[in-house]
Amino acid sequence: MAGTIRAQYPASLRPVRVMCTARVSSDMVMRAFNKGADGVIVGG
Amino acid sequence: MLETQRSTNIELFTLAEVTDLQGYIGNFEVEILQHARYTNQDCNGCGACFDVCPANAPSEFDQGMGPRKAIYTSFAQAVPMQAQIDMDVCIKCGNCEVVCELTAVNFDQQDTKFSVKVGGIIMATGWDEYEPEYGYLGYGKFENVITQLSLERMLAPNGPVVGHLHRPSDGKPPESVLFVQCVGSRDINRNVYCSSGVCCMVSIKNAKLVKGHNPSTEVVVAYIDIRAAGKGYEEYYAASRREGVKYIRSKVGRVREDPKTGNLKVVLEDTLSPDKTIREYEFDMLVLSAAMLPSKTFGKLNKVVNLSKHSSGFLKEFHQRLNTVDTDVPGIALAGACHGPKAISETIMQAKGAASSIGKLLTNGEYRINLIRAISDEEKCSRCGMCAAACPFEAIKITREEGAVVDNILCRGCGLCAAVCPSEAITVRYYRGDQYENLIDAMLEDALKEGGHA
Repeated sequence: MAGTIRAQYPASLRPVRVMCTARVSSDMVMRAFNKGADGVIVGG
Repeated sequence: MLETQRSTNIELFTLAEVTDLQGYIGNFEVEILQHARYTNQDCNGCGACFDVCPANAPSEFDQGMGPRKAIYTSFAQAVPMQAQIDMDVCIKCGNCEVVCELTAVNFDQQDTKFSVKVGGIIMATGWDEYEPEYGYLGYGKFENVITQLSLERMLAPNGPVVGHLHRPSDGKPPESVLFVQCVGSRDINRNVYCSSGVCCMVSIKNAKLVKGHNPSTEVVVAYIDIRAAGKGYEEYYAASRREGVKYIRSKVGRVREDPKTGNLKVVLEDTLSPDKTIREYEFDMLVLSAAMLPSKTFGKLNKVVNLSKHSSGFLKEFHQRLNTVDTDVPGIALAGACHGPKAISETIMQAKGAASSIGKLLTNGEYRINLIRAISDEEKCSRCGMCAAACPFEAIKITREEGAVVDNILCRGCGLCAAVCPSEAITVRYYRGDQYENLIDAMLEDALKEGGHA
């Protein structure tokens, strides 16, 4: 979405593509925090 | 149609229906039920048996307005030109057998079932006219209210009244005819869709024909808006106006019948007149331009073929703008009104597209599939069968030895099986849990190395 509306977003953002937001488990979010992520956005 | 029959590369099965479909692109197996025709291929359709047959039935082709015999061809140019016997009507007198010089009649023929192997399938099941419910706009209740297809047969030189228009109640040539547009379409209580301007053009054509037959006939079309969107269509519409066909932009209000004359009293609101006149008009005959529906037998067929449908009941295309020829099942393409209401020219366009789409697949010799497919772990799988039940493409089979077995060609990688699996045994390739974990780890390691925040 950010790309199609030509929105700018910080270069430190890392997208993880999933087939559906229901595929995102709490384990995946917690793992990201454990590894040092400052925040996690779940968008769909 | 005759060309189809004569082509040596085409095998034609008529009076047949598809009863089962197995397999996938390049390897479909189609089971066909061939209904008995009760005549063999020696029949040349000479029609000698029609004259001696004592049993009559209403002709389906003539919309029930004319008779046909129990032994008949469905219409004059039927392909193949071979008689068939309707056993529900036949009294088994044997007259046809006696009179047939080619000994083509065979009362002992049975329905047969057989399978054919095909590489691709083109759906071309066509359409049926919407039948207005009893009493809607007087249909069924008043004899002089007919549908467009009935008028079509009445105007045909080979039809039940040999092209001389008579109204049904008393056989009088009508002095005034009203065409009613959008019957059963563009109507939230019936069908929301527009029948794609086909009924507009048919009405204009038939209005011109009625007018041409007897120029003193008053011909009026009640319409919402005329959708003459096609090459030369607008000119055709303008020509009909010049010839004296009147157009009133109005939905039809009440329809009553004058019991003495059989004339119809119709309330119209002329929405284009300055004062929006609401007035009762009297017509000798009403012709309803009924909507195009998917063919009646299609529901039964689709229980076998199982293609996804649009909310209108017509088949869904692969993509509404970018690919309107293929379906979401590889190897099955669409042609004509099974996909949506459309005119002959568009049908032919789509049919040629469908033929080349399937032809391209077949001549390639190979078909590439995406590797995003479900994979099952034999060790973890408890053989519960939930994945097989959840699979919309019937791609999963449960075996005692290997657990869930996924057919890589039928599988479309949707992931429904992975979502329902209680033991996480079935996953989608490239979207597995550990792959996500590794992805997150690698990404963050990378980002933190580059500097500071992630």
